[in-house]
Amino acid sequence: MIYADRDTGVIVTGATGKQGLFHITLMNEYARTVGGRGVVAGVTPGKAGQEVGGVPVYNSIRDALREHDATASVIFVPAAAAADSIMESASAGLSLAVVITEHIPVHDTMKAIAFARLHGCDVIGPNCPGLLSPGEIKMGIMPVHLSSRGNIGVISRSGTLTYEIVDQLTRAGLGQSTIVGIGGDPVIGQTFIDVLYRFEEDDQTDAVVIIGEVGGSLEEEGARATDLPVAAYIAGLSAPPEKRMGHAGAIIEGGEGDARSKIERLKKIGVPVASRPSEVPRLIKELL
Amino acid sequence: MKLLEYEARKVLEDYGIPIPRGVLIHSPAELGPAMETLGDRFVLKAQVEIGGRGKRGGILVADRSNGPAVAGELFSREIGGIPVREVLAVEYLEIQEEYYLSIAIDRSTKNALILFSDQGGVDIETLARDSPGALRRASIPVLMHDVPPFMVRDLLGGAPKELGGIINRLYRVFCEKDALLAEINPLVATPRGIFAADAKLVIDDNALRRQGISQNRDLTEREREAERHGFSYVELTGDIGVIGNGAGLTMATLDLIEYYGGRAANFLDVGGGADQERVMHAVRLVAGDPTVKVIVVNLLGGITRCDEVARGIIQAGISQPVIVRLAGTNEKEGQEILRQAGYRMLDSMEHAVKAAVEAAR
Repeated sequence: MIYADRDTGVIVTGATGKQGLFHITLMNEYARTVGGRGVVAGVTPGKAGQEVGGVPVYNSIRDALREHDATASVIFVPAAAAADSIMESASAGLSLAVVITEHIPVHDTMKAIAFARLHGCDVIGPNCPGLLSPGEIKMGIMPVHLSSRGNIGVISRSGTLTYEIVDQLTRAGLGQSTIVGIGGDPVIGQTFIDVLYRFEEDDQTDAVVIIGEVGGSLEEEGARATDLPVAAYIAGLSAPPEKRMGHAGAIIEGGEGDARSKIERLKKIGVPVASRPSEVPRLIKELL
Repeated sequence: MKLLEYEARKVLEDYGIPIPRGVLIHSPAELGPAMETLGDRFVLKAQVEIGGRGKRGGILVADRSNGPAVAGELFSREIGGIPVREVLAVEYLEIQEEYYLSIAIDRSTKNALILFSDQGGVDIETLARDSPGALRRASIPVLMHDVPPFMVRDLLGGAPKELGGIINRLYRVFCEKDALLAEINPLVATPRGIFAADAKLVIDDNALRRQGISQNRDLTEREREAERHGFSYVELTGDIGVIGNGAGLTMATLDLIEYYGGRAANFLDVGGGADQERVMHAVRLVAGDPTVKVIVVNLLGGITRCDEVARGIIQAGISQPVIVRLAGTNEKEGQEILRQAGYRMLDSMEHAVKAAVEAAR
């Protein structure tokens, strides 16, 4: 597994919101099943002293860290304050911030990521479902029942499409080491290349599935830089140019980032690309 | 959201970037008084939200004698299917040199990417393809307040030093206006100095509120309806309606339709936590498109409750057939509710899409 394990203590920011409560409960249910530490504290400014899903709430991450041992945050704070929460995480010394929040203005994201980088804090997201290492830890909102533990790494810009492909992998007997949702925004913290480097260092991971979308060229840049066996699926072959397909990042602009040329570039560097989600397990089996 | 040229050049002007004299007119009759400020020759530019206006006949040169006739002609045109309602009349510039300047977001470095070329006037894709050497680039973290002087020198090469001030001003526009793209093409040198002869600004949709900009564009009735419900909705040209949750899964559903030889009528992402009412609205919205022959619903959820979704589909009560793939909480109940009501439920997105493509034939 990568980024975190069952011993990782997690702080949730935006803990007292509806989402925060709901997902703290689910994350800690999972932590109990796998014998992990899970969410140890919540943070919402002005709400210190409350409890959310059995977890104590503090005014700031620094306050929480005085009472608890934690190295990572999961951010559910609304868009207008989410970048602030990333910077607070980094400044407090956390090494990982997983940002679930969507609709953060991209300039805020760029600044927060640049700031986090100065403090050595990795950012996953924003606009992502988080990460899940089956049997170890869940940070974020991924459903756990479709996954199983194994040796396949998964990196994805999508949410539900990730669950679809994880489900297919599990049904084909291909368990997962870590599933990382890197987010659907044009600017995201950890990209394919960063996660692939982590998987290279991970003994558990033998092959990786890349789930990409139209927009940009981060998929190809990542696949080119790794020695790991990689298979890919790219969504958006039928997407028209200049139309935003749901995600802010999923847009073909100035003829760049269309699925067809993305797939061609991936194939050119030897990455098999599935023409349908259901083909992914077969491609991975051929690589192993 | 892409601003219209007259809106974008107003922003540049606010930041001290010189723009040619110009007047926005709403009818040919308004050109008369405008001509007083424009000089003998001027350019009439249709204000439509579409690229390549020049090639599509949206930019015409005129003078005092034929001005009203040319304006009449332009107002009667449709540019790329969009009727011309506003025209920007600008003074004719005596151009000596044309430059290209843009600032965009670089996904790889997560920085602002500044591009400059002394061969402006052509579109950037052509420039990048035909003379990549003429395109100078600099990557700058948006934590920086100014573009450092060395970077300005690198960008400009042999171009006039006074362009450096324009680079810094445009950088400030880019940062302070939440721009995804700020482009001046061409930036021109004339005997009277430097001018931004065109302006393009794309503002981050997630920042429109704090920028005080309202989504003003011509939306279709259904697009407006989708916006009200918070759906991501794109109209396409086929006959199979699509409803999914999550952008990636919905896009993959569209791709599968194409794979099996069908054509999607739309992209509709209902978003997370789809409940009975949202699903009902989504189904009605898609069914309201008269070209839609069949609808495929592909919902896969952790939190999505399938029984709620099933009730929403039935409540919509539409005439077209609906083919459903549902997976998530209360899956069995959802399937049972739909079966009893006579809907087709399939166990995978592939089977659902195949059935929809066959039904549309």
